[in-house]
Amino acid sequence: MASLYLLIPLGVCVVFAAIAAFVWASSNGQFDEIAAQADRLPDDER
Amino acid sequence: MTAASTANWAAFDRPELQAGFAQAQGGCEVRVALDGMHCANCSARAERLLAADVSALRVNLVARDISFRFRPAQVRLSALLQRLDEAGLQPRVLAHEASATRAIAQRRRAFARAGVATLCAMQVMMLAWPSYFGVQPQPPIEQLLRIAQALVATPGVVWAGWPFFSDAVRALKARSLDMNVPVALALAVAYGASLWRVAHGAGALYFDTATMFVCLLTLGRLLEGRTRARAVAHLRALSERRALTAQRLGTQGLETVPINTLARGDILVVAPGDALPADGELLDARAELDESLLSGEAQAQLRARGHALLAGSINVGAAPLQLRVSHCGGDTRLAQITQLLDLAQTQKPRLQQLSDRIAGHFVAAILLFAVIGLLLALARGAGLDAALNIALAVLVASCPCALSLAVPAALAAATDRLARAGVLVANAAALGALARIDTVLFDKTGTLTRPSMRLRRTRALAGLDVNRCQQIAAALERGYRHPIAAAFAGIASGLVVREAEQIAGAGVQGLIDGQRYWLGAAEQAPVALQLPREFQIADGCTRIMLCDTHRALACFELESPLRSEAPALIDELHRRDINCEILSGDSHDAVSAVARLLKIDQRAARQTPEQKLQRLQALQAQGRRVLAVGDGINDAPLLSAADVSAALPQGAALAQQRADLLLLGDSLTALPLAMDIAKTCNRRIRENLAWALGYNLVVLPLAMSGALSPWLAAAGMSVSSLLVVGNALRLAPAARKDGSIVGESVAVAKKPLGRLAGNV
Repeated sequence: MASLYLLIPLGVCVVFAAIAAFVWASSNGQFDEIAAQADRLPDDER
Repeated sequence: MTAASTANWAAFDRPELQAGFAQAQGGCEVRVALDGMHCANCSARAERLLAADVSALRVNLVARDISFRFRPAQVRLSALLQRLDEAGLQPRVLAHEASATRAIAQRRRAFARAGVATLCAMQVMMLAWPSYFGVQPQPPIEQLLRIAQALVATPGVVWAGWPFFSDAVRALKARSLDMNVPVALALAVAYGASLWRVAHGAGALYFDTATMFVCLLTLGRLLEGRTRARAVAHLRALSERRALTAQRLGTQGLETVPINTLARGDILVVAPGDALPADGELLDARAELDESLLSGEAQAQLRARGHALLAGSINVGAAPLQLRVSHCGGDTRLAQITQLLDLAQTQKPRLQQLSDRIAGHFVAAILLFAVIGLLLALARGAGLDAALNIALAVLVASCPCALSLAVPAALAAATDRLARAGVLVANAAALGALARIDTVLFDKTGTLTRPSMRLRRTRALAGLDVNRCQQIAAALERGYRHPIAAAFAGIASGLVVREAEQIAGAGVQGLIDGQRYWLGAAEQAPVALQLPREFQIADGCTRIMLCDTHRALACFELESPLRSEAPALIDELHRRDINCEILSGDSHDAVSAVARLLKIDQRAARQTPEQKLQRLQALQAQGRRVLAVGDGINDAPLLSAADVSAALPQGAALAQQRADLLLLGDSLTALPLAMDIAKTCNRRIRENLAWALGYNLVVLPLAMSGALSPWLAAAGMSVSSLLVVGNALRLAPAARKDGSIVGESVAVAKKPLGRLAGNV
């Protein structure tokens, strides 16, 4: 059980890292055009 | 603005123009449309061309544009544009819209908040897991878990839930109670009490409830917001097509300058097909202008020397025109009409939604009951901790979560359903009013009729073959852009015209097989015409004559054709006891002809925007609920002030932005369907509200008596919310394989329209 003293704070740190990464990514517009990704497939018809 | 007309890119280096760009991290952000970018190869080439000199480069192949950040001190924008132009990508710098940038930032933040709330809610539940199952870890570990919960819940409640707190404060400052007040209070109490209990190492925690609460609420708002953002995205694209530069006649000839450096008295040259950058006085003898953006009327307008021209109209003549600037920037008529619109919008009657009416009383009741519960528990001799438990249970269990989802979930479902039927909802609040409409005001040109002219009948007058006359006319009009030319565009003609010439204000002429022909309005004909009496009937038709050098050869009757779906639509509206009226800026003859065909009794011709607005206000004063359908800016004040407004997308961009509903697919067919969906949506909202209120009536006494444990309160709230969302989604049924839509009232609405559609 002693390992929990390390793992729980570590888990909290990981959550904060994930939050920071997500906020950074969304404020840089990475999720602006989720639906548009499907249209990025090579379009040879045009 | 074509690539050829802006060969001089240097104007884009001017600081006055670059001042309009968004500034970020020491650089200017700019978005450039690349009309020549068709494939992944092109976009890769565009990236290669710029990569060395710019940062934050992003290519959007779907929208065919590219955005990047550059440092004006290090690199010239004109050099970048020149590079793209030489690669055949046809760059066009898009007008900067401060509001658009703001909207994008808001959407990104809303998405980030919903994501963070979801992430935190899940992590808090993981950390609270032992307490769900009655597992008792060692006390130090348990305390560590509680501290971890507090840490992880903090961004989920404080940052992600910030809008609820700030909105609640704003509501309280305005001395009103809206749904944000109990939401914020429940969050504050649940979070604050939990923090306090963590600090004291005892008592149940509500971090999971608080974060899940924020998560559900932000997701609901995000869902609704995204649906609405989709509706306005392509409208923004339209408004970005404005020109940023003008061709000014200076001492050293023609120079390209940014429009915000123009001054009164400047002389500008506007190429054929380009939009006028400012209001001004025409210096040429004659010019032909498409003012449909300002008047909504499709007829090209003829203007003579000294006449006032308006910014935003398009030079549809064959030659460049010169004008002397009289008003520019915010003083143009275009800008003033926009201000008029803003005024009309603020006067728009507040659409009272059912939930808004209930919410005020409901919120007050919840707060009251929470306080009563707290006091009763204290009076019974329970400790402050147990009393707080009861107050929290009341706030959490009866928190208007389902109530706050009841309206947006149904609106989002209806918006989505309408989008699939070709109706974009720009203002979701309008759906409530749409269901109760009893009067419809129609504009004529471009709304009940098509915006372009059509050849109705050809009469050969001099024994010539009708087909031959049409071919001559089609050859003469070939290459011109005005509405009359459009009427002949569909006629195949192999004839070759020499010395083709447009006589502004009169017609066109040219040599065909050595014979000189002339085509234009009868009054302007170069030869004296004896018109038969039947040609002088006022029936709303436009008549133009084909002549050779000494006699009339043929008469063409042109009309703005009625939209094929219009009669069926009016029949359908009459069947529903909805009054229809025509308000048009067009002539009495033209309006009467259309009204007769559609069996509409109420009509008014030659209406100014102010008169249209007065008529609307008179109707509203009688208690009528009015839907206005139109296009063009002269309709826009009317559209703004109406209870609900609908616009057809090929109208002017501004009018579309003010309208509540946008009818895509260039058709009015979807209007009755939209009314049906609005009615269904209203019913769903009422069902949802009834459920949410009923649930709260049941759960409130339980919470007050202290019989409701925290996890039961949270579970009940979630199930209630899910039921509400599920009920709302019934509104947007899946499409069947044959393309028809499975919906209750929808099928009924489609039948009569389908039957009548082919009749006209």
